[in-house]
Amino acid sequence: MNVSPARLARRRHTLLLCLLALAALLVLTAVALSTGEVSIPPLTALRALVGLGDGGDVLVVQQFRAPRVLAALVAGAGLAVSGALLQRLFRNPLASPDVVGVTGGASFGAVLLLSLGASQLLVPLAALGGGLVSAGLLGAFAWRSRAAVGRLVLVGLAVQAGLAAAVNLMIVRFPAELAATALQWTTGSLYGRTWTEVWVGGGAIAGALTAVLLADRRVAVLDLGDDSAGGLGLRPDRDRLRLLLLAITLASLAAALTGPVGFVALAVPHLVRFLAGPPTPATLALCALLGAVLLLAADLTVLHLLPVPGLPVGVMTATLGAPWLLVLMIRQDRVMNRSTR
Amino acid sequence: MNLLAPKATEHANQLAAHGLRLRYGDRLIVDGLDLALPGGAVTALVGPNACGKSTLLRGLARLLDPAAGTVTLDGADLNRMPARALARRLGLLPQQPVTPEAITVEALVRLGRYPHQRLLSPWSAADQAAVEAALDRTGTAELRDQPVDQLSGGQRQRAWIALTLAQDTELLLLDEPTTFLDLRHQLDVLDLVARLHRELGRTVVMVLHDLGQAARYADHLVVLHAGQLAAAGPPAEVLDAALVERVFEVPCRVIPDPETGTPLVIPRARVHS
Repeated sequence: MNVSPARLARRRHTLLLCLLALAALLVLTAVALSTGEVSIPPLTALRALVGLGDGGDVLVVQQFRAPRVLAALVAGAGLAVSGALLQRLFRNPLASPDVVGVTGGASFGAVLLLSLGASQLLVPLAALGGGLVSAGLLGAFAWRSRAAVGRLVLVGLAVQAGLAAAVNLMIVRFPAELAATALQWTTGSLYGRTWTEVWVGGGAIAGALTAVLLADRRVAVLDLGDDSAGGLGLRPDRDRLRLLLLAITLASLAAALTGPVGFVALAVPHLVRFLAGPPTPATLALCALLGAVLLLAADLTVLHLLPVPGLPVGVMTATLGAPWLLVLMIRQDRVMNRSTR
Repeated sequence: MNLLAPKATEHANQLAAHGLRLRYGDRLIVDGLDLALPGGAVTALVGPNACGKSTLLRGLARLLDPAAGTVTLDGADLNRMPARALARRLGLLPQQPVTPEAITVEALVRLGRYPHQRLLSPWSAADQAAVEAALDRTGTAELRDQPVDQLSGGQRQRAWIALTLAQDTELLLLDEPTTFLDLRHQLDVLDLVARLHRELGRTVVMVLHDLGQAARYADHLVVLHAGQLAAAGPPAEVLDAALVERVFEVPCRVIPDPETGTPLVIPRARVHS
């Protein structure tokens, strides 16, 4: 099959970037497994991961560090891919899980559960439910307007604002100790992930990521506008709504693992576009890898580099996210040169 | 090797509307239209602005569900056909397609293969051959690595036509393919359409504004007026001064085109007071 040289060159470029991201991922993973209150040499840590070596090391690596690292990796990948999909579906570079109400829904679900005095073990499930319910709300409202892009964004922002207000109201009325837990959760946190959560959440995220990858052609056709997509055999309204639900599920699952972590879903797709050009299945993979790298790096930063102990990772990503967002707004005229329907 | 040609006689490719009503929200655009478009021919849809010609084309392509009535393709109800099966028979070039940012010509044209691909099927030799043939046909092969959003209007339109050609359908629906192009590029596009019809046997239905061009390039003319059918038939038979005056409200003479002998509409000079 003949592939033009320019296409081939770009494909190689993206592949190289993927390999670099993978290398960074492995290094960060080794660092994350070996550092902490007890320092373990990287190789010993990797051996401990598979159950070899000193019993104390095995306990620390397997029970405390590995779940946290894995949670960061899958959640980061899920958030980044969800953001990339949302930005394409909305044809808007500012789209992210915040805009479609997932962040608010997940926080609301989790905080509501805490306020009812339920076990903290159920918090991830409540977050997942909250995210999906707000997505359902969005779907119900938007379906009536046949999923028009502008309407979806407005409804999403309204849902988000309402839920954020409800969360704040609950936190203000909480006793101080519970409020601290809730606040930490609503800014995104990787503390205290268990293996069960990581396996279930990670498995679901892996499934959703596969679905996104398989749907890539459909997304590319939707990029051509509703009329062209219809002419090519899609039902644009229905297909867009389905893909939207997929992106929202992905973000909700990630939020269930880590709480609503900001910045990753917004920034990584832009970073990938900047590095590797217009979207292809390969750039989607790069997106997932970079999302994982970024969230793990942010987590390592709050764990080891910052003077304040116990900060949630969401604070770190949001601190980086706010300036990025401003830069993006300033450049918006240039970025938003795709026509919107 | 002419890869895009051989299927021309597989179907009759006759699109027809039966009591068709199309509406946007509460606004009724096409009201009870009965119409049969000949298969294997080039049909031009003409009419004044807002007469419903683009709406009708969208209805014929099933982008708009009928409020009443049906659209049939060779007798089969369009709304009962699977979307992908329809997309393998009928291709569409919308009036203002959305060009994704930074997409290259070849990447754009490859998307035309979407209805022929299955979920996990890899890109096949047949897919590549159809893309190459479409690029050659439209003279866009040397532009393949260029971003579509940096092309000139005429080049961009040819890239989009290449996409619908790669779709490899016997029927092509084109919504105002010459709008926003200068005269030379208008004629380039229309000549391309004529060749697609003549050499590949494609059935073409296109919305046009210029009546002279419609008369030159179409075998069959459909004139719409306020959502109703005003006239239909071969241009030489239906296009006369009375019709143009009634539909466009422009007094005119219709003379034979000195080049082709087809009807040419000359508006009468307006008397300035």
